[in-house]
Amino acid sequence: MSNFAFKGGLKLENPYPTNEIDLIRIPLPKKVVLPMQQRIGEQAKPIVSVGEHVLTGQIIATIDDDLCAPVHASISGTVVAIDEHVHAHKSGLKGLCVTIESDGKDNWVDTSIGCTEQYELCTPETIYNKIRVSGIVGMGGAGFPTHTKVRLAEGCHTLIVNATECEPGITCDASLMLAYPTKVIRGAEVLLHVTGAERAIIAIEDDKPEAITLLKKYCKNDRIIIEEIPTKYTSGSEKILVKSLLGIEIPSGKFASDVDVLCLNVGTVVAIFDAVVENRPLISRAVTVAGTAVKVPKNLQVRLGASYDYLLGFTDYQTGRHKVTMAGMMMGIELQGTDYSVSKNTNCIFVDIDEKNSTEVVKECIRCGICNTVCPVGLLPQQLYWYSKAKNIEKALEYNLVDCIECGCCSYVCPSRLPLIDYYQFSKALHRQQVKDKVQTDKARNRFEFREMRLERNKRERTEMMEAKKRELKEKMAKDKTQKNIIEEAVKRVSSSKVNNKVEDEQ
Amino acid sequence: MNNKHLNTNQIMRQVIFALILGITAQVYFFGPSVIIQIILASATAVVAEAIFLRFRESRIMPAIMDGSAILTAILLAISIPSIAPWWVIVLGVLFAIIFGKQIFGGLGNNPFNPAMLGYAFLLISYPVQMTQWPGEFISFAQGMDIILGTQNIDGLTGATRLDDVKTQLMLGLQVQDINLESVSQLWINVGFLLGGIYLLFRRIIFWQIPFSLLIGIALMSAVLFLLDRGQFASPYFHFVNGATMLAAFFIATDPVSASTTPRGRFIYGFFIGVLIVIIRVFGGYPDAVAFAVLLMNIAVPLIDFYTQPKVYGND
Repeated sequence: MSNFAFKGGLKLENPYPTNEIDLIRIPLPKKVVLPMQQRIGEQAKPIVSVGEHVLTGQIIATIDDDLCAPVHASISGTVVAIDEHVHAHKSGLKGLCVTIESDGKDNWVDTSIGCTEQYELCTPETIYNKIRVSGIVGMGGAGFPTHTKVRLAEGCHTLIVNATECEPGITCDASLMLAYPTKVIRGAEVLLHVTGAERAIIAIEDDKPEAITLLKKYCKNDRIIIEEIPTKYTSGSEKILVKSLLGIEIPSGKFASDVDVLCLNVGTVVAIFDAVVENRPLISRAVTVAGTAVKVPKNLQVRLGASYDYLLGFTDYQTGRHKVTMAGMMMGIELQGTDYSVSKNTNCIFVDIDEKNSTEVVKECIRCGICNTVCPVGLLPQQLYWYSKAKNIEKALEYNLVDCIECGCCSYVCPSRLPLIDYYQFSKALHRQQVKDKVQTDKARNRFEFREMRLERNKRERTEMMEAKKRELKEKMAKDKTQKNIIEEAVKRVSSSKVNNKVEDEQ
Repeated sequence: MNNKHLNTNQIMRQVIFALILGITAQVYFFGPSVIIQIILASATAVVAEAIFLRFRESRIMPAIMDGSAILTAILLAISIPSIAPWWVIVLGVLFAIIFGKQIFGGLGNNPFNPAMLGYAFLLISYPVQMTQWPGEFISFAQGMDIILGTQNIDGLTGATRLDDVKTQLMLGLQVQDINLESVSQLWINVGFLLGGIYLLFRRIIFWQIPFSLLIGIALMSAVLFLLDRGQFASPYFHFVNGATMLAAFFIATDPVSASTTPRGRFIYGFFIGVLIVIIRVFGGYPDAVAFAVLLMNIAVPLIDFYTQPKVYGND
């Protein structure tokens, strides 16, 4: 457990090296566009209407779903529109957004409800709730609702604060640690209290010595350990991090909470501190803006919903033909232009000058197997590729398709420049669809079988009922017959006795 | 994306580049005829591939420019006797490109090593032409005449040392009585070994296949050698004769038809080595690389299936 090494992965060069990683607070944007749809879960429902005046920190949309977090107004002002905008997502699909125009005052709503400043005295439930109403989701990019994640990890033994900075070129976590070292430490303390974990490990890659020294300086809690890990791509992946720090493998299809570990991004921990101790909901985040069109990379602390263009205005931005990437060069997605707004999981925006012919021609797979050597989870990417290409999902699953973390190492080294991750994502989607279809057909079959059974039962019950009735009738008739007989006999008797009487009378 | 990793075209070019030392040794000992064979082979390969791609209605230029067809052609050209008639290499390359590669769907889809398939085809169909090796240095003009068939090759040919040893053993001689030395074979093998080390160094090929192949040869020949020194040559003999180094670093390492799991590569290479010795010693053909490689190509899906690495989170 000394060198935290893992097999596979890549030593990547930072495409936008910089020494300046100060976090710059930029002025309030004039307008924010806040998406209702977060990474997973249902779309939140707006509870404000157009023309309404909102205050900073006011909840403007909510939904009763554990996979969803409420959305807050990130500035004070007037709601000017509730309409559809294109999300910063691969699909390019549109989704509902609330647009607020600033009044320039940044008046805050009273956020002290459910106050948890003395968090040591609060029950975990109160704190989960505070995290939920503060709208916190995973800030590293996953966007998973934090209250659900923390709740699932109740009784865990270790808290891992992921400060590895998942990909080269992203420095927002480092800048956050330099700006708010005490928040990181205290946020970890809050989580130690909530989860009851024995210890917290803050994992930082060794290319951030300033952050390491600073955190070590401020850390007075002996339950919090600051670990330096080698800078190598995918070290920040939750599965890999848990393995390299603790030597535990998260079983296939399970989560960190299943091995009693809670792993949170450092940005999320800071957000938890802000929410629990300072009563500030999640309305801003640190974003790295870099790329060849930006020249000097910057880390900007910005209100959520600010447009990419607004951020780019604070850099030495060159206009022209650009390639815009969100969330990193390896796992990020390429966007069409800069007409998007910052959301809770926007950790970086890369704007590169688009060199012509920069994309290489894709060739056939030559089965070289370089991909095998870089896969951090030990998959055979090229086998998955062949099966995905053939849409042979069953075989792909046999080769552990579901364990792929989509880190992109295989695509990166592929000499034939195959977009391998696209193939896997496609296969996974196909698999999900198959599972869904199976559930549907199972449901339909059950329904059909139940209907058949019900009809059969009705029929049976009816015949039984009919038979019973018939029997009853027969019995009744039989009874009637005997009664009739009795009456007849009685009548006979009477008449015969009458006759007798008559005879007697006559005598 | 800034990517310093080689692409497929660059890999093919690097492999061709690494062959230069071995080819130079061939030229030094047996004359420039091998270059004529390479040119003939490459031209045939390009034409064959272009025609076939046209039939398949796929794009021609990108496929030709990837260099894989030319690499196949060169490997076949340097494997056959450099004084074989022109139609031998032409037929061999046609067979390799069409039936070894394109018929399966082109680059990446062929189950067999195309060059070795071509070689096996030639060896079975034209055993005479395929076993007449130059016995001495042959000049360009002379080589040209022989290849074009305008000059008789009588008196210029000789058997390879591998063949020679086999014949003499059959005649009842003991290994100790036979001259095992062959300077040309030694240096040609050294040339390919150095080229192979370059490829290893550039991380274009993985170490498992060449390493395990050489271990396979060493182990198998050592066992036989220790059993009967009179009947079997030493491991060293097998290392520096025939196409050993060419096979270890350039032929068995063809990624398309080789095993792809780390453990699988080891098994694949090892058994090619073992088979090379067995076929050389007990088989009827002078060298054994083609058959050993083709046999193991068949086993690749099986090897790959049983050597899957452990996946994170799975037992």
